Amino acid sequence: MRRRAVSRQKLPRIVTGPRGLLLVGIVIGVGALVLLRAANHYTSTDSFCGSCHIHPQATSSWRLSTHYAGTSGTVTHCIECHLPPGGIGYIAEKSRLGVKDIFGKLFKDESRFNWEQKSLLEHAVTHTFKDACLECHKNLFPLELSKEGEEAHLHYTQQADRLRCINCHLHVGHFDPSAGGAIEFGLVTTEVREIYTEPAVVDHFEDYTEYIPGSSVRFEMVAIQGGTFTLGSPESEHYRGSDEGPTRDVTISPLWMGKAEVTWDEFETWYRQTAGEGRTDTRQLSVRSDPDIDAVTGATPPYGAPDQGWGKGGRPAITMTYHAATEYCKWLSRVTGKKYRLPTEAEWEYACRGGSSDPYFFEGDPGDYSEKRLWNRLFGRNTSGIDPYVIYSGNSGGKSQMPSEVMPNPFGFLNMSGNVREFCLDWYAANAYALYPEGATVLDPRGPASGTEHVIRGGSFRSDAARVRSATRDHTRHDAWLMTDPQIPKSIWWYSDCIDVGFRVVCEYEEEGTG
Amino acid sequence: MTENENGPSRREFIGAAAAVGAAGAVSAVVTGCSGVGERYEGYQYPHLLGEAPDGPVLKAGLVGCGGRGTGAAVQFLSAGPNLEITALADIFQDRIDKCRNDLRERKGVEVPDENCFLGFDAYQKLIDSGVDVVMLVTQPYFRPEHFAACVNARKHVFMEKPVAVDPVGARSVMSSARKAEGIGLSVVTGTQRRHQKDYIEVFRKITKGAIGDIVSANCYWNGRVPWFRTRQRGWSDMEAMLRDWVNWTWLSGDHIVEQHLHNIDVINWFTGMHPVKALGFGGRHRRQTGDQFDFFSVDFVYENGIHIHSMCRQISGCSDNVSEHVRGTKGYSNCVNTLFEPDGEMIWEYPYELDEEGNPKRLGSQAYFQEHIDLVTAIRTNKPINEAENTAISTMTAIMGRISCYTGKEVTWEEMMNSDLKIGPDKIEVGPSDYRAVVPVPGTP
Repeated sequence: MRRRAVSRQKLPRIVTGPRGLLLVGIVIGVGALVLLRAANHYTSTDSFCGSCHIHPQATSSWRLSTHYAGTSGTVTHCIECHLPPGGIGYIAEKSRLGVKDIFGKLFKDESRFNWEQKSLLEHAVTHTFKDACLECHKNLFPLELSKEGEEAHLHYTQQADRLRCINCHLHVGHFDPSAGGAIEFGLVTTEVREIYTEPAVVDHFEDYTEYIPGSSVRFEMVAIQGGTFTLGSPESEHYRGSDEGPTRDVTISPLWMGKAEVTWDEFETWYRQTAGEGRTDTRQLSVRSDPDIDAVTGATPPYGAPDQGWGKGGRPAITMTYHAATEYCKWLSRVTGKKYRLPTEAEWEYACRGGSSDPYFFEGDPGDYSEKRLWNRLFGRNTSGIDPYVIYSGNSGGKSQMPSEVMPNPFGFLNMSGNVREFCLDWYAANAYALYPEGATVLDPRGPASGTEHVIRGGSFRSDAARVRSATRDHTRHDAWLMTDPQIPKSIWWYSDCIDVGFRVVCEYEEEGTG
Repeated sequence: MTENENGPSRREFIGAAAAVGAAGAVSAVVTGCSGVGERYEGYQYPHLLGEAPDGPVLKAGLVGCGGRGTGAAVQFLSAGPNLEITALADIFQDRIDKCRNDLRERKGVEVPDENCFLGFDAYQKLIDSGVDVVMLVTQPYFRPEHFAACVNARKHVFMEKPVAVDPVGARSVMSSARKAEGIGLSVVTGTQRRHQKDYIEVFRKITKGAIGDIVSANCYWNGRVPWFRTRQRGWSDMEAMLRDWVNWTWLSGDHIVEQHLHNIDVINWFTGMHPVKALGFGGRHRRQTGDQFDFFSVDFVYENGIHIHSMCRQISGCSDNVSEHVRGTKGYSNCVNTLFEPDGEMIWEYPYELDEEGNPKRLGSQAYFQEHIDLVTAIRTNKPINEAENTAISTMTAIMGRISCYTGKEVTWEEMMNSDLKIGPDKIEVGPSDYRAVVPVPGTP
């Protein structure tokens, strides 16, 4: 009683009544709002973002980009692209990211973050918001928009639910010096080297080096002795896909196969020698045209930079369509007088296994290497068994690598399991193997007689270890891989939305020689 | 320019459409919304004043000095005070001379020599001559290129329908339309029913549910043979086609596009949609010149499985009908002035003024003046109207119908939005042309 009286004396009357409580509430509320605003402001500055996101190259590339160094003088800040443009979405995303970033800061090893990988389109879409782009870029049809731009933006308006701005404008926020440059594609030869005039002469069934006439490009072909193996994977195999069985015994006839995936050097030679033949009204390119090129058509220029700015040369060629890959084989056959084509998936798997019936041609189990296993994610994993042989998500840095980065498999092939996935000759069917007779040995199977998509085999720089197994199967996705392409008609030569598939060639062997 | 009856390939008429895969990707450029009420949201009603308000002088230039162009110039000059025609452009001198003379006699307008431009590039010189408004009334083939040039030069535009003859052109106009919108230009497109008070009142009532949701419709332009020009001595191949343009598909789009567009546009307007696909047939029996069909009959399928029949014919001596008809869940309408119960009982009729003899004064011819009044009003009140995109969509709709009739095959909107079809000769210049008159033969590969 006494204490209450004292306390009453100490507090002014106005604070203690019901109206007083209201006032206190208002003061606290306003104070909290001011604090929240200040906190929001504080946590929205570029320097605050930079305090956790330790990726100096992102800051420097942003400063070089049109969103910092543009002609308008406007600087676009981190959160203006990497958070939704306001409202509930903004608060929700900011809170979610805040928690995620604090967790990452406390428990993750920043040095292991693969920033390059995170800047690929498939990752960029998770932290770049279309609404944020459109918040500033309200007019998609400015007067200066080019003819191509008109078609592209009209295409976008028709597909706005499926396309993002960064499908085309990936590098506008962070400058990439190697992006773009499509117009010079295939036309620039860097140095003067010996120009081969004759293809390789092959009179024995043994490894040989092919020379592409009219170029300074050569590549290795490895002779595969024929043999019998088990196609597909046993049901007991970890991370096995249901389309990998039932297993069948298959005999492969002798043939040659490219030691590595077809490189940009090889692919660009085809482009240089045939480009522009595929279409009459192509871009203004002074490409060479070959008068007797009737049997083979050549590609039109790609829409963007097909090598993704990673460099060409000996890296595997990517982003070509399946059609382009088959046309390449036809052309290669014509200029070398041999019979080149894509491998069947049975030939491919035989070469990949290199005599092994395990999940990989090297030691180890997918369970040891895969990120799909929670244990591996939490406590790390020992990948010393896989790293020397395969370019996959665990060691790729988010892009393809030179073939020289890996060790060969037992047959002498490079990058069968990884680097880029590879087109095969067969039409894809999930039940393809079931169509082969059980109990008998199948000779040189070629898959279903018809289909809509083709088989692709092997893993890529983007694949988890579970998907670089010798038996892993996948297939092309033609329409989805052309979704962004705003050209009319869409290119038949270049996929706009597929960056991790290439191919390798095989050369058919006939007893008397190579035909 | 030779007559050739060989069947052309489908590619010549549809162009190389891109691989059409993913279903459900078809969405309207402007009208791609779902609820029926929503479809009409934001529709731009014209101001419909009796005369455009006064303001600083607006100078207009006329590109295409034929009969329609001269008429449009007169209608522009009649739209309000302080309006001038200061420049003319055409490919033919005799057209410029006649137009100049007509304008002098009818409106007392004197266009100086230095502002009369001749040739295929005359439109650009006219645009650069200091005009505020450009009137594009040439053969429709040239419209996309001319319109793009006007927008780039920031000119307000009156242009006649159709706004293109092929998918490439229609898409170009869609893009230019958006550019024009971005900078606040006004564009009126010769779809004068959209400026006709009776049509507009019916439309307003239908958007408020007067006949419920629209479930089907028909539209017609069945009429006589239009004019044609037999070739005269001294005319080059190109000149003969240009002067006979209404009989050449590459110049006019064929009459389903050139003329029937009016009715198709009313259907798109009243439904607030464009079709998803079309299947039609047509043929040629009676035409004297050119390469066009005499008649078309098209089943257009809109969203929600709504079928709309379009029919057009240019043969004299048959029953004629130029009209539209829409049926809703609660009644139907002739679009122009009357609403009916499902059983035919009249719900409402537009209250026309009566003339001295007690006959209603129809508004059809007034609408040609009204569209210019609405254009000038929009410019002077700084409340832009822009009909280019809607008319491009209707033009594309008619082109889709034409292609289906030419090929005999179903054609989808998505194919149109991905087609690289651009028709016409490779070289546009007065002189000999190797352009062949190829009458389409449906069903050929």
